[in-house]
Amino acid sequence: MKKLFNILTSIGAVAMLVSCGNSGGDTTEGFKPTLDPETKCSIKVIGDYSNFEALEEEFDRFNEYYPNVDLAYEKIDGYNNNLATVLEREDKPNIFFSYTWMNGNDKYKSVFDHMEELSDSNLKLNLDSIRPSLLTRDKDNKVFMVPVFSRTYGTLVNNDLFKKEGLSIPKTWNDLLSVCDSFIEKGYTSPLMGYSLKTSSSLMNTVAYPAFLAALKDNPEAFAKANNLEQSAGVYMRESLEKVKQLIDSKRINLEECDKISDNYTKVIMRFFEGDVPMMICAGDTVSGTKKRESQSEAYTKSPFTYTYHPIPLTDKGGYFVDSPSVEFSVNKNCNDLDMTNEFMRFLVTKEELSNMASLKRLVTPTKEMTFDPVYAPFNEVSSDHTILPEVLGVKDGLSIQIRVASYRVGRKQLTIDEAIEQYGSFEDK
Amino acid sequence: MMKRIWVIVANILIIISMVVFVFIYSSFEANNIQKTQIEHFENTTVTMERVTENYLEGEQRICDVWAHYINSQDMTMDDAISFIRVSHVLKSASAHIIYKDDTLAGKSTKPRKGTTDDYHVSYKDFDFLKDLSWIHEIGTSINISRAYTDSISGDQSIAFCNFVTLHEGGTDKEAILLRVLPEAELREKCLFHLEEFKTAELSIIDVNGNYIIKGQSFKNSSFFEFFKSYNKLEPVAQQELFNKIISSTGSFSMFNSKDEKCIVAYTPFDEAGGWTLISLIPIKNLNLSTQNWLLVGVITTGLFVLFIFDLLVMLSLNKKLKLTAKEAESASRAKTDFLSTMSHDIRTPMNAIIGLTTIAEKNINDQKSVSESLRKINSASNHLLTLINDILDISKVESGKLNFTPQSFSIVETVENLMNLSQPMIKDKNINFSFHISRMDKEHLYADQLRLNQIYINILSNAIKYTEPGGSVTVDMKEEDSLKEGSVKLTYRVSDTGIGMSKEYMEHLYQPFSRQTDSRVNKIQGTGLGLAITKQMVDLMKGTIECESEQGKGTTFTVTLDIPVSEHQRGEMKLEEMDVLLVDDDEVLLETGSDTLKSLGLKVEEASSGLEALGMIKHRESTGKNYDIVIIDLKMPDIDGIETIRRIREEIKTNVPILLISAYSYSDVEEDAKKVGVNGFLTKPLFRSTLYDKLSEILGKQTESDEAENDYSDLEGSNILIAEDNEINWEIISTLLSMYGINTERAENGRVCVEKLKEAPENKYLLVFMDIQMPEMNGLEATRTIRKFEKHWAKDIPIVAMTADAFSENVAECLNAGMNAHIAKPIDIKLVMKVIQKIKEESKL
Repeated sequence: MKKLFNILTSIGAVAMLVSCGNSGGDTTEGFKPTLDPETKCSIKVIGDYSNFEALEEEFDRFNEYYPNVDLAYEKIDGYNNNLATVLEREDKPNIFFSYTWMNGNDKYKSVFDHMEELSDSNLKLNLDSIRPSLLTRDKDNKVFMVPVFSRTYGTLVNNDLFKKEGLSIPKTWNDLLSVCDSFIEKGYTSPLMGYSLKTSSSLMNTVAYPAFLAALKDNPEAFAKANNLEQSAGVYMRESLEKVKQLIDSKRINLEECDKISDNYTKVIMRFFEGDVPMMICAGDTVSGTKKRESQSEAYTKSPFTYTYHPIPLTDKGGYFVDSPSVEFSVNKNCNDLDMTNEFMRFLVTKEELSNMASLKRLVTPTKEMTFDPVYAPFNEVSSDHTILPEVLGVKDGLSIQIRVASYRVGRKQLTIDEAIEQYGSFEDK
Repeated sequence: MMKRIWVIVANILIIISMVVFVFIYSSFEANNIQKTQIEHFENTTVTMERVTENYLEGEQRICDVWAHYINSQDMTMDDAISFIRVSHVLKSASAHIIYKDDTLAGKSTKPRKGTTDDYHVSYKDFDFLKDLSWIHEIGTSINISRAYTDSISGDQSIAFCNFVTLHEGGTDKEAILLRVLPEAELREKCLFHLEEFKTAELSIIDVNGNYIIKGQSFKNSSFFEFFKSYNKLEPVAQQELFNKIISSTGSFSMFNSKDEKCIVAYTPFDEAGGWTLISLIPIKNLNLSTQNWLLVGVITTGLFVLFIFDLLVMLSLNKKLKLTAKEAESASRAKTDFLSTMSHDIRTPMNAIIGLTTIAEKNINDQKSVSESLRKINSASNHLLTLINDILDISKVESGKLNFTPQSFSIVETVENLMNLSQPMIKDKNINFSFHISRMDKEHLYADQLRLNQIYINILSNAIKYTEPGGSVTVDMKEEDSLKEGSVKLTYRVSDTGIGMSKEYMEHLYQPFSRQTDSRVNKIQGTGLGLAITKQMVDLMKGTIECESEQGKGTTFTVTLDIPVSEHQRGEMKLEEMDVLLVDDDEVLLETGSDTLKSLGLKVEEASSGLEALGMIKHRESTGKNYDIVIIDLKMPDIDGIETIRRIREEIKTNVPILLISAYSYSDVEEDAKKVGVNGFLTKPLFRSTLYDKLSEILGKQTESDEAENDYSDLEGSNILIAEDNEINWEIISTLLSMYGINTERAENGRVCVEKLKEAPENKYLLVFMDIQMPEMNGLEATRTIRKFEKHWAKDIPIVAMTADAFSENVAECLNAGMNAHIAKPIDIKLVMKVIQKIKEESKL
């Protein structure tokens, strides 16, 4: 973890030098209100989370400074499709979820037109508190989106089940295979499980994506081709696709069982809490829902167990830590009460508040000082050469879609690995 | 201690019981109020459900009308959209028509926000149109969607729906008509308008808890999720609650996102749709009365204050009781000690009296032995009398009943009395005694003479008592101006070279029965009450008493009193100018005596010894200017007064009148003095009036010697009536008086006395000695009766009280009744004789 932190700090230092003057961050500890505390107004944050209790708690904390500011979170149906329209409506939202993949996508051009430049020194946002590797800057080094959570990929592990069966949590690829075999021998139908019905958040992508990026990260030429969706880059997917195929073909991942999980979030968690799944493959976003649902699971309430979130050990040296932004916040520059909106952002974009929110949400904080929830403790052991920073690499959404769709279709046997490689650059996520 | 604890515990238990009762009662009342309020909230929610349902029905009717019309007119998609555009009046509303096929796509009456020509709409990604069973036949129910994001307006909206049939290319095509209204607008219609529930908000949920309409305070996308997020409940109980919410009317409490306890009321809404209307209000905003809490607070505080107050009062009373008990105990102990001391102190002289009487009886023929026994019996009797007087005095002082009877008196008499009383002891102990006065201008004062005497005698007798034989006692009396108008400040200082007192003893010097523990002191008779009485009396007379003492060296007591001056003072005392020689080794006396003599108009020369005096007289003789009067002190170091006079008479042969002065009794030297040619005696101190009288007398009757003090020969044959009921007392007085040749006649009581006087021939009796407490008629009544005699010689007969009622108030009572004097029993025959003689002399005038 120290190595990782050193890397991040180094990157941060470089980025700070580059962005000197752009990020007029308020580095002093503690939030100090700059507007009239009696100000009355409304701030609406929109996004695609059904529930956002962690943010609502931040609303309450902000209300301690500005008690008359009415803050609300609103879930938008069909967020990605409707965002542009919603930003145009009469009751204009003040803050909205934004994602790195929107960058460069013409569909979201109007969305970007609404975005306020958050690196404007006048706003005094403490962008220095955020790991530079998670900050997306445009060609002019401007920042329009601030990550509030970071995301990674891995598998939830039922520690008690491993203990019960006398098995050790796998550290290498071979360990993983043999542990799965041992579980199968002991009668477990699918030692590895995950969501498998759609491409989005599918277990196939969770396994393949880190491996694909690992294959590209030290090969700039190949990475450039992959980012440009050149078909020739498809070959770099092979190893990652083979791993997916091997796990599914060997029934270490039993797709029939996995298909019973009807959604990629709540059902995944509730299935894991049944207590008979040794490893549940999922993204960090899903891990964020575990805390709240412990009490909602009858099985878990009756027989609670300890669990941790691990990188999937795809190599002989272990797994990868893909440190990428999850949800990012952008400010609608056309909204009402822009001053108070920026005041809220200034309040939120601090080490304390972002860490607090990440802790409540059980996600990884985007701040420089990473304080992991104990569930994420295994990621402390990932070596620096196994840490992948997509934003630093400059991964584009298209690349992500290619591996997401390819891995899903190979996993579901809709394509062979060769066919998938052949079709690189042509996959669309519909 | 234990009892007090139990009382406190009992009090606390009572308070706790009362507070608990009030608390329970208040809680019960508060619960009732809360229950009533919640019921009221529930009822209001049901009312709101009807209001909301009516409103939604109204909106649904519009959609129904449109659907009816579209269905009846075989419209195409464009026709239907055009028709709705025309009939649509609400600016915020729009309508969408989508085909009931997999695409769920169609057209909107309004273009997409931010565009002018994009009317395309698709509901393919919306879950609520995947199952269309909730959309019923036109006019049968409210077909309302959940709140969703309208892709045309971007607003959170709800849609009233109906199936319509479009006519496209000659075929019918099933479609869905959606009348889309912004949720915010609807929410506004669904607000509680009651003042008491102004902060309440409404939501409508479907069977899964998903919001159809979502109030601002409601979080998450589903009410059930909202509940789960902030409230912990067992899954089974949770599911039971959710089932109850969607199937009945009622209420429950839960915490919201701000951790506030809220009341949630629910009631079925549009049963066909399976929806539920829920209302939520923070419990703090319910109009719950806090009066009962105030009551609890006030009662608790009141009881607590009462308890503390009672406790303090109780503690205070206990403290006082303890103090009183301690005082009572102390008083009881003091009484016991007193009685014990009294018993001892009375028995001691009584033992002497009884024992010596027995000895005298056994040795009745041995005159010397009898005489010695009687002398000792007399001494013991006197001590016993002093003790009894002191006891009575101290008891009166301590009971606050000591009264003063002021009367005009002569300080000269007081000092004479003081001298007379102290002389025997001074003589016995061979004490060097001197009595100085200075500036005694006012000789007649107004005070209780008896008490003043008592004070002075007590101090002086103590000084003499506690001074070893051969020691010195000096008395200084000084008159000064007083701050009190009409008074003089009389300072009486007695210094002795006696045994002195320790510092420890001086701390409780004035306490009754306190006597220094000293082997020398133990030999000295004393009650231990004298100084206590003296101090009390000085205090009552608002004077001061100070004591300086050093063990082994002596003691000085100083009493200072402001005493009113009597109106009656002697007139001017002046003598013809004469030369006077004053001879004394005492420098103070020379100075003060000289001053006094000069104030009488005399020329004074002083000699400090007999030899010096002889020389001065010789010198005068030789010059032919003899002194007119020589005053010589008895005790002088070289040659004493008598020897000096003898040598004056023998060597100078002069007849100059010589007065002998002394602070001691003359009884032993009187005869010798007269033999050597003394013309008169003067007792120190030398008061102005004393000197004036004596010098006047000497100058008028130079050859007459001073009248013998004990010469009562002229009283022989006098008749005195004695009213006395007690046989022994009668016998004593009649026997004593008969020793002086006085005849006595007895009256057994007051009445007999009055009758005898009435019947007696004129001047038969010189005077009457009247006892006070007698049967039939007491002395006071008898005196008053006698004084009321009309035209009778006995009306003015001198009556002298002779009684054991010896207090000053008794004296005053006697004088007030008309008596002329008072003699206390036991009687001092000398005093009795003096009184008789005085009366006899007065009767001559």
